[in-house]
Amino acid sequence: MSTDQSESSARTPGAHAFGLLREALPDFGWLKRADLRRELFSGGAGALLVIPQAITFAYLTGVPPEFGLYCAIFVGFIASLLGSSVLVGGPNTAVSILIGMTVIPFAGRGSPLFIEFVFALSLLVGLIQLLIWLLRGANLFRYFSPAAIVGIKVGVGVLLIASGVEGALGMSPFFTYFAYEKFYLAVAAWHDSANLCAVATSAATILSGLLLRKHWPRAYVILALLIGSLVGMGIYGVLGPVNSQLELLGHLRMAALPLTVPTLAPPQLLFLEHTFFSALAIAVLGLAQTLVIARDLKATVDPNVDLHKETFAQGVANALAPFFSTFAGSGSFNRTSVALEMGARTPLSGLIAALAVLLIAWALEPVLTYLPMPAIAGVMVLVGIGMMQNNDFRLLRSRVEAAVFTMTFLAVFFLGLEVGIFVAVLVSIGFLVASISKVGLSISRQGEEERIAITGNLFYASLDRLAKHLRGSPRQHTVLDLSKVAYCDAAARGTIEKIKTEREQQGGRLEIVEP
Amino acid sequence: MSSTTLIAVGLVLLCSSLAALARPSIEELKSRAVLDDYESNVVFGYNIVMETNKYAGRYTGSTLACTSCHLKGGTQPNGFALNVAGLYPKWRSKNGVRNGLGLRIRDCFLYSLNGIMPPEESAEVQAVAAYVHYLSEGQAIGKAPEGYSVPTLPETGSDPDPARGQAVFKRACTACHGADGHGTAAAPPLWGINSYNAGAGTHNVAKLAGFVWANMPLGQERSLSHQEALDVAAFIYIQHRPFDPREGRLRKLAEKIYRSIWGGDQTKSSSK
Repeated sequence: MSTDQSESSARTPGAHAFGLLREALPDFGWLKRADLRRELFSGGAGALLVIPQAITFAYLTGVPPEFGLYCAIFVGFIASLLGSSVLVGGPNTAVSILIGMTVIPFAGRGSPLFIEFVFALSLLVGLIQLLIWLLRGANLFRYFSPAAIVGIKVGVGVLLIASGVEGALGMSPFFTYFAYEKFYLAVAAWHDSANLCAVATSAATILSGLLLRKHWPRAYVILALLIGSLVGMGIYGVLGPVNSQLELLGHLRMAALPLTVPTLAPPQLLFLEHTFFSALAIAVLGLAQTLVIARDLKATVDPNVDLHKETFAQGVANALAPFFSTFAGSGSFNRTSVALEMGARTPLSGLIAALAVLLIAWALEPVLTYLPMPAIAGVMVLVGIGMMQNNDFRLLRSRVEAAVFTMTFLAVFFLGLEVGIFVAVLVSIGFLVASISKVGLSISRQGEEERIAITGNLFYASLDRLAKHLRGSPRQHTVLDLSKVAYCDAAARGTIEKIKTEREQQGGRLEIVEP
Repeated sequence: MSSTTLIAVGLVLLCSSLAALARPSIEELKSRAVLDDYESNVVFGYNIVMETNKYAGRYTGSTLACTSCHLKGGTQPNGFALNVAGLYPKWRSKNGVRNGLGLRIRDCFLYSLNGIMPPEESAEVQAVAAYVHYLSEGQAIGKAPEGYSVPTLPETGSDPDPARGQAVFKRACTACHGADGHGTAAAPPLWGINSYNAGAGTHNVAKLAGFVWANMPLGQERSLSHQEALDVAAFIYIQHRPFDPREGRLRKLAEKIYRSIWGGDQTKSSSK
């Protein structure tokens, strides 16, 4: 559907604009096929699942926990409303980590200026994604190697575990730029500054999660959070806040419509200028995750999923996020797969989940207030372990894929996430170009006559081998079979014509079988 | 001649540079288009102090605001003024450790606001610390400022009497704090579930009496005698309020259940 649309839009500007408009407007065609009961149940389950995640990701970003829930509500709602599929949007691990890491050098974590920068950055990310939509960027994400995505996911898993380290040990944040430093610091300083009550709480969370995972592969994170929280609240209740020194979540003061206008004064603009490439990385990473899910859905569930429409929906949701007091998000792998398993097939479940988050957060507020932060840190570690394991590692049997994975992962681990993303893009494109510019020459001889059948793409980068072969024997009579060539550019055509005239001058012959 | 003009020019320059150095008011900061990290934290801290439940609601557990005790946003001498950044870190008998400004602010959330102790790095604690630093500009480091805390009342020769205090309360306090002491729109609650807990600094007859004498009733400060202030402080002291959170809630509950089942003697167990 999307491909014939883009083909038709290539003809006239009017048709092009009409195609864009059709993508930009919400399409309620799914209403007819929505199974209300299933969508309702899966929406409710999605809301329960997203609440601990939203609180965790708000912590990763460095903003109050309400903002994470607002992200689940508003970014999720807008993305589902404008999208065309069951894809569930909202707060996302990698995007949250990246936003936090981008803003932390410019303002105190959680301070008013920090929050203004987070809003400005989210706005820019959304606008970049809309630009990518206008430039038909969704097509490019086809070239993003699956191995690179696995590399990023494993790297994010490590980062997630690293960002849970201080919370799990009850230490104050380390503020190191490189994730691996945290492990060293935690080992070096644990006997001075680790809080035993926090360690007991996070250990209960992590161990129960690892034990329960086999039996409840979908709900184990929530069960582990429940067990860890009970342990933590028990310790807090017996020892009291001063002796246990346990950090609690605190009251959630949720507003139904937290409308704001992001400040864009000179400091924010200067900040955006400094962090433009980080914003680009966040936009690319968010879209990459969204579109990988959308591509998956298109292949397995619903052939009508429109990648361009999902790009637009994500871009608008992120650009509007700061107007609803929240930060950018993206599609979520785990929440989409839970929605699918619960039988959801349309955006309705995402819309219901977004609304249910508000109701559940209001209803559970008295309990959530006493949620111990070490239990949330334990959840981060569990989700990190899950991200590292829930991958299709069969991909990596091929040497090229293994190389892409290794380079991406090492870049994420040692150079940070945003560098890792650009490395992933470059390496994917590099190997893609290498595989495209491989030209197959099958040479057969019939007496005096040589016959060369060519497969692959003939263009300026892949021409060398053929030209060298042809120039090596100028008096030969050769039949050049181009009928199986997928693409032949002007440079290649020119070179071949030139060799033909060279041969004719020297007494050879070059016959070309046209495609 | 030329030397006097030089001196005059120098004086003018000095005055103008001093004026530039002078601390901007909160209103001036709020009207600026651009604030740096420190200034935005000062404004945020001021907002927290004035409207604690709106700006730091995550960690509060009462309807009090900081400014309920730290009068006029912590700028009132003898009314727990907040220009005390130069006094920290210091050892305090309350928790038996050396307290930085951060821990001191966190204690206020836990006891005086009967809330949840925020972490040291939380944006709220950092902002209030910035505001305290802003108020402390020009103070000597390590020296108590003028009008520090509340005045200590002299010996009156008579013990504080809650019964007499009740009469004083009915006469002087109920107009704003309500007949039941649970507060009105004009003044914060003095006891009950929405007030400070038994671990708070004002849960202390001498300290509360000094505060009442120097600042209450609002607009008629120092109209009560020392004895009246002590009596009304004793009356407020004996009212019900949330208990000291240093003892865990679960343990407190378990002790209560244990006593109610096995009939443990309250005086005996508390004397142990």
